[in-house]
Amino acid sequence: MEAMRKKAVDALPGSSWTPLEINPNLPPERADIVIVGGGVVGWSIAYWLKQKEMVRGGVRVLVVEKDPTYSQASTVLSAGGIRQQFSLPENIHLSLASADFMRNINDHLGVLNEDPIDLQFNHSGYLFLASEAVAHIMEENYSTQRYAGAKVSLLSPTQLKEKFPWLNTEGVVLASYGLENEGWFDPWTLLNAFKRKAISMGAIQCCGEVTVCTSFFPTSDDGMSACVEQVQMPNSLEYQPVECAIVVNAAGAFSGKLTEMLGIGFGPKQSIAGIPLPVEPRKRYVYVVHCPDGPGLDTPFLIDYSGVYVRREGLGGNYIAGASPEEAAEPDASNLEVDHSFFEENVWPHLAFRVPAFEKLKVTSAWAGFYDYNTFDQNAIIGTHPLINNMYFATGFSGHGLQHSPAVGRAVAELILDGSYKTLDLSGFGFNRILTQEPKLERNIV
Amino acid sequence: MLKILLPTIMLVPTIWAVPAKYLWSTTLSYSLIISLISLTWLKSSAESGWSFLNPYMATDPLSTPLLALTCWLLPLMILASQNHTAPEPISRQRTYITLLTSLQIFLIMAFSATEVIMFYIMFEATLIPTLVIITRWGNQTERLNAGTYFLFYTLAGSLPLLVALLLLQNNTGTLSLLTLQYTPSMQLSSFADKLWWAGCLLAFLVKMPLYGAHLWLPKAHVEAPIAGSMVLAAVLLKLGGYGMMRMMIMLEPLTKELSYPFIIFALWGVIMTGSICLRQTDLKSLIAYSSVSHMGLVAAGILIQTSWGFTGALILMIAHGLTSSALFCLANTNYERTHSRTMILARGLQMVLPLMTAWWFIASLANLALPPLPNLMGELMIITSLFHWSWWTIALTGGGTLITAGYSLYMFLMTQRGPLPAHIISLDPTHSREHLLMALHLLPLILLISKPELIWGWTA
Repeated sequence: MEAMRKKAVDALPGSSWTPLEINPNLPPERADIVIVGGGVVGWSIAYWLKQKEMVRGGVRVLVVEKDPTYSQASTVLSAGGIRQQFSLPENIHLSLASADFMRNINDHLGVLNEDPIDLQFNHSGYLFLASEAVAHIMEENYSTQRYAGAKVSLLSPTQLKEKFPWLNTEGVVLASYGLENEGWFDPWTLLNAFKRKAISMGAIQCCGEVTVCTSFFPTSDDGMSACVEQVQMPNSLEYQPVECAIVVNAAGAFSGKLTEMLGIGFGPKQSIAGIPLPVEPRKRYVYVVHCPDGPGLDTPFLIDYSGVYVRREGLGGNYIAGASPEEAAEPDASNLEVDHSFFEENVWPHLAFRVPAFEKLKVTSAWAGFYDYNTFDQNAIIGTHPLINNMYFATGFSGHGLQHSPAVGRAVAELILDGSYKTLDLSGFGFNRILTQEPKLERNIV
Repeated sequence: MLKILLPTIMLVPTIWAVPAKYLWSTTLSYSLIISLISLTWLKSSAESGWSFLNPYMATDPLSTPLLALTCWLLPLMILASQNHTAPEPISRQRTYITLLTSLQIFLIMAFSATEVIMFYIMFEATLIPTLVIITRWGNQTERLNAGTYFLFYTLAGSLPLLVALLLLQNNTGTLSLLTLQYTPSMQLSSFADKLWWAGCLLAFLVKMPLYGAHLWLPKAHVEAPIAGSMVLAAVLLKLGGYGMMRMMIMLEPLTKELSYPFIIFALWGVIMTGSICLRQTDLKSLIAYSSVSHMGLVAAGILIQTSWGFTGALILMIAHGLTSSALFCLANTNYERTHSRTMILARGLQMVLPLMTAWWFIASLANLALPPLPNLMGELMIITSLFHWSWWTIALTGGGTLITAGYSLYMFLMTQRGPLPAHIISLDPTHSREHLLMALHLLPLILLISKPELIWGWTA
């Protein structure tokens, strides 16, 4: 009797009961914009799209993420730094805009009646050390950065020793220290803040993997329109075709796989279709060390000219350190296993040389994460592809995705909804530079 | 009469017998020939009487324009459906066209019925093919909900009508429209009489739809495929109007307490649904709400029972049928290219498809009742007769006209002007089929400027 009553109540108009049971985990059959990849860049784009739609419910945004635990996602495995010390003005502006966003994050991403967001943004700044060989590059970069509005200062070795007495300045000719808007923050909090706000504004999320993405008009000469044919549910054979108008490729390290599904990269060698998206996963190690006699609370994010970096983590004498491997010695990117010998051979010697206190330290833990590495010029790829007319890329950040995510999200949302960039002009990061083989390289790549 | 009805019935076996290669061209030309022959009805011998008479079916100047519209719409629906059904298996395509044709048959019989019970049965029968089209060929999961709303709203409204008709049959001994118009006017004294009055009209008010009972319409229009939307907007809503006009003849005199609520609902609905249109993000939803707005004006025009009101209502019904169907076809051309109905994602189309912009322009201007199109004629006659009935209505109808102009221009400017997003730079150019479709919609509308006598009913 009770069950019948409940069934009758369910069947009244206005309730969502239907005679055909629909699996609630499946994504909707139709969405206007499908964002493939639920990392910080994907959710930032979802937030900004919802922010910029002029009417509530204007665009239906679906974010598809294959792993809700984010076990392999670059976002949460990142060291979490943000800096303006780049050589390309676009990168500097991106970081400045993102830092401004994150300083006022509760104005942007605060949700009514929910806890405020605490990014744990440590404004300790980045400290780049330059040797004799690269000091002139550092000076030129310094003037670019100051011109773009970044608050950076150059320090001589004596000033360096005064400011950071624990530093060994041997071999250092010049140092560049960020005074404002630089430091590190908690990537997991940022990701969840974007996600919570976007969902509160109506974005839909789905846990699944895009396994088939084909074209609407396979025989058209004008180019293809991507449509997501299959979103496969995890651990199951069930899939759902999602009809969409726009696909945003924010899949990070795995973006190459999505474009391969459309046949990009498999055409004749000299044609546009033959040039694949040059993004592949590269493994980077991060080691957590404990050193009770270490540098202290004012430790900046130190980056030595040998490529080794270290920053403070928390208040208990822990530090995070790592280094970029040589091109020839790239670790195998098929898994996230950590190679501890890398620390012993490549990181610790330089670390101990630069900061003598680090001669006595203990590695407490380590992890590995992927860079969505742009093999072409290690900078972002943002914009449309000449052949696929409705796929937008927001990938290839090569280690800078997290710090640029708020500004990149805004730029992509402007591109989709307004037709062109409005606040920051990122047309220099378009796909066309890969076709014309004109790399846009940073002068010192970390 | 039979020379139109029998060929339409025979179209069904033709659909199933014709080889797959010739399916669409055959059905298109067949239905086009039927529609051209149906235009002969427009030249009726008797100005105010019934023509083409047989015991069950007849035409008169009220039903003739609607019949011509119905027959004209079938080739247009077939033309519009050709593209989106192309990937389906051939038997499913045949079923689709059979459903459209069966809908046509029921509609022809409904509009030409002389007996009100036959009209009622056909009125109900049109629900079935429409329901099948919406739920089987619609695009999204919400189509099941839409079908439920559509079916149950209309059924719930029409059951009282059945009771009322049976009572009428008992009372007067006949339900033939030919003689019913001569019954003496009845005194609606008891409360049961007033309920009977409401019962006669409720089904048609839900169908029109009246503002309070309009919730099924946006759902059904948005979820239906293009042919479903076209026939819903163009003809099925007019079934409500036609039924109301037939019943009104014998529901005189007008009493204040009975008709005031409905007239006020209708006029208020014009304003409210017009305002909703200004906030819509979905293109088809905007056109659906604009249908409710126009039909509200038609309902008000019919309810005040003056000859100008009736004339204006009929003209507006025909003109709105053509315009609304044209707008749905335009929205469909957008949808087939971008696979999205959201307006914000398909902007600046004038840069990419300039010829389609011309059609958008004419259709939007028709929607906002630009002179000298018949839309204006209908609206003006209704507004003036309402003003004559009560001066206060001018506030609502004037405001409604303003808001209608607002959202029609909003729809045009949003889709055609504005910044061009990067993803719609390369779209398929407009096909000849789409140009033909739009021309066949808007050309009759423009030609009606020169001979509105065809569609203004009994008024001599």
